[in-house]
Amino acid sequence: MNISVRFTEPEDAPHLNNWFLQPDVLHYFPMDNVREVEDAVRVWMCCVPLQAGLTASADGLPCGMATLYVSSYEKLRHQSLFSIIVDEKFRGKGVGTELIRSLKKLAIEKFNLEILHLEVYEGNPAIRLYLREGFVKYGRQAHFIKEQPGKYRAKLYMQMRLK
Amino acid sequence: MKKREKLTDSAAFDLRYTHLDDGPALRSWLEAAHMLDWFPMSTPIEVDNALQVWLGFCRLNSSLTATYEGSPCAVGTLFLMPYRKVAHHCLFKIIVAPEFQRRGIGTAILRNLKHLAKNFFHLELMHIEFFTGNPIEALLKKERFREFARQEHFVKQGDRYWGRILMECDL
Repeated sequence: MNISVRFTEPEDAPHLNNWFLQPDVLHYFPMDNVREVEDAVRVWMCCVPLQAGLTASADGLPCGMATLYVSSYEKLRHQSLFSIIVDEKFRGKGVGTELIRSLKKLAIEKFNLEILHLEVYEGNPAIRLYLREGFVKYGRQAHFIKEQPGKYRAKLYMQMRLK
Repeated sequence: MKKREKLTDSAAFDLRYTHLDDGPALRSWLEAAHMLDWFPMSTPIEVDNALQVWLGFCRLNSSLTATYEGSPCAVGTLFLMPYRKVAHHCLFKIIVAPEFQRRGIGTAILRNLKHLAKNFFHLELMHIEFFTGNPIEALLKKERFREFARQEHFVKQGDRYWGRILMECDL
């Protein structure tokens, strides 16, 4: 499988929408329904004019995306939160690793970032990837997601220094 | 810093929902010397954008304004979450006019925000993020907030860095 990475384009939005709606994916995101997913896709796609988002393709077909949420505040512009998603059909094939490494490169070379950070929900298999890529946990919010009365999922805060 | 005379027992002190008309007062506090040290904004455009988001919560009645002799002296706002699975908690912000600080107004507005969050919006938790060194940390500890995250080097100005602290409280 040949994986290539390019800047995200507006035409990628329907793929992102579909990946969010794949079975079990929303366990690991704060959105809960189609309307909330549309809103999250709209926010994600704000990266396009800034060239802050990347799309991975396998043999020409989009299979994952990652984006930096570059801060609009000058004081916070040396660090950025990011999000990543991989099509379920392409998980475990190195797409996530390739996207994270490309995003780190973009963060350093284009945005001169010093810190990359992320928020991930406990139980998400992607945590293994983040640890392997050098991210370190700096916080945990126990009751962030309420899945049903009395049942919560924690949010973990992780970051890594780029410089 | 010495604590000054408490104003919240005075008949001149009151609390009401925030109006869009409170915008100029809020802006003037943010523009006071050193106030922006505790906020992410640093330019007039950034302040404009932040105020627009902040005051947008007036429409949901999730923001309170403290007044003294009828004039605004503090604002506290619940930034309600837009997604259903996370709607049981929210971020909040508080600002007290410089000349009214250390007079019990921050405590009063925080306690009333907690009441609003619990009894009107049926929230289970409230959380706040602030930069290291912000004197609000002492108030939050007194009001039984607990730290759940601390990120070093979150803010950068010139060659200097500050961290951010996240604290939450059960309602």
